[in-house]
Amino acid sequence: MAIVGVGTTKFKARWIDKTYYELAYDAAKLALSDARIGREDIDACVYGIYNDFFQRQYQPDAFVHDYIGMGLKPGVRVNTGGATGGSALRMGFSEVASGLYDTVLVLGVEKCNDCFNYEVHQHSPEVLRAILYTADMTYDNPAGRTAASGFALAVIAHIEKFGTPTERQMALVSVKNHRNATRNPVAQSPKLLTVEDVLSSRKIVDPFKFYDNCLYSEGASAVILASEEKAREITDCPIWITGLGASLDWVLPQNRPNIYEFQSSQIAARKAYEMAGIKDPLQELDLAEIHDAFTGTEIMAYEDCFFCPPGEGGRLIEEGVVEPEGKLPVNLSGGLLGCGHAVGATGIMQTIEVVLHLRGQAENRQRKNARVGLVQSIGGTLCSWTVCLILKREE
Amino acid sequence: MPPKTHARRQAPPRKAPARRTSAPARKRTDPHREWYKFFSEKYQIPVEQLKKEFQDELDGKNPVDAPLEIPDRMEVFFKYSYGKQSRFFRELRMHQQILGSKCPQCRRVYLPPRADCSLCYQPTSWVKLSGKGTVIACTIQHFSTSAFIKKVPFICAYIRLDGTDSLLMTNMEMDDPSRARPGMRVKAEFRKNRYGIITDFYFRPLTGGS
Repeated sequence: MAIVGVGTTKFKARWIDKTYYELAYDAAKLALSDARIGREDIDACVYGIYNDFFQRQYQPDAFVHDYIGMGLKPGVRVNTGGATGGSALRMGFSEVASGLYDTVLVLGVEKCNDCFNYEVHQHSPEVLRAILYTADMTYDNPAGRTAASGFALAVIAHIEKFGTPTERQMALVSVKNHRNATRNPVAQSPKLLTVEDVLSSRKIVDPFKFYDNCLYSEGASAVILASEEKAREITDCPIWITGLGASLDWVLPQNRPNIYEFQSSQIAARKAYEMAGIKDPLQELDLAEIHDAFTGTEIMAYEDCFFCPPGEGGRLIEEGVVEPEGKLPVNLSGGLLGCGHAVGATGIMQTIEVVLHLRGQAENRQRKNARVGLVQSIGGTLCSWTVCLILKREE
Repeated sequence: MPPKTHARRQAPPRKAPARRTSAPARKRTDPHREWYKFFSEKYQIPVEQLKKEFQDELDGKNPVDAPLEIPDRMEVFFKYSYGKQSRFFRELRMHQQILGSKCPQCRRVYLPPRADCSLCYQPTSWVKLSGKGTVIACTIQHFSTSAFIKKVPFICAYIRLDGTDSLLMTNMEMDDPSRARPGMRVKAEFRKNRYGIITDFYFRPLTGGS
């Protein structure tokens, strides 16, 4: 199984001049032209679109399918919260691996900032309101929680258990990812910040400040998956998917044994490593794109992806292991903090970033001699879903 | 002749519509009028102010190729059934009593309650809880959704009630929210007006030793 074509739009706060299906069209066009194939060469489509309210449309996938000229081909939409992009890739992988189809277009798109709150005259609270319909409506939603507070509570539980991550460690992640974004042309928030800037930004949900949170983004990303035989026909530079792991935890965190670790992330990572034959991820991976919706959860992800033992994630950022010049650079794209979080597109954008590095096309942010990369996509009000992918370049 | 109860009511024969020479003169109402009214009432914002948002568009001042933004909303109303959890909410409202649900096989006590144990596939039974518990993690919301943005700052917490094996996402109220800490002992307080929803109660720190 290989990725033979990739394409992404820029991630922006608002694409006021395009609808969600027009954005999807741009990504599809880029991916098809990257693979040098036509619309007619695609056997089936998988769409990653998270929130119907964002798009102001139920079943928005059907309208994307129509607009990008895939009419009469099989098409299906996947929605697993923040992990939607990763799950769409997993679905596409299954369709090709099963032998059903040779070439599958996996396209993620999201356009959140048409939501608007007229009372406080901001987009964000209304975007959040649309998001919080995905928290349990009976028991969770009425408390006024947000996606950020769920993860903040997990980070607090982690601090309670291990003493880390500290606010400074979290700020370092923000500084790194915003700086990485300055080298990524599709990033929404390229910024050269200092630790002080992050620590003094306005409070959102303790312990997260403004720069600890990812952005609401609009954008579309697409990849084309092909069977081994087909991939060799299409391209000289296929990027192989050698590992895939997925897990859906108890969606009500209430029922988990604890909330200071994300077991779905651990299971997904372990399965992906097993499938790809990876024994020591810190040594064997050349780069990783981690779902850094919040700085604290990127640090927790270092542990859940087994880059280090539990409780030592903060050390990796302090020692520079995950910096661009470190042993295992994390989020060279800028991640969700710097590049942006266009929910359905995010996992696919992260995958494209790894593909570009493995192809040697990542320009001034290129990881030298990148051979193997990890993509982690998580979603749900408190990391319910995790999908991990291992990508490898042709030897 | 069939019994009367079975008799179908016959629709009166349709009269042929009177022919008109021209379309009826009916003024087309602004489809956004309802929207303006809704938001004006919801947020206490004058209609004129809401219209101002779209003023250039209404006046035809925007270039013909500029993105055209329109007001809209998506909404659904419910008469929602709590199903097998109904008793939990009725007890909250009527008796200020928090119930958990216990599996007869694994002895696990669920809160939020569920009528069936998800692990043993056995029906659970109701158990009364004391309302006391321990904070597992708590945080202060300084920003929130449209529905709560005017209420910040407030505390959200995962609390484990005594005698249960799960956590409850809930609110805490205290004089100095910055003193809320994991490990803190708390007790449920019921609101004066209760509506059969989970926010009919919240938590306060337990004082006096425990």
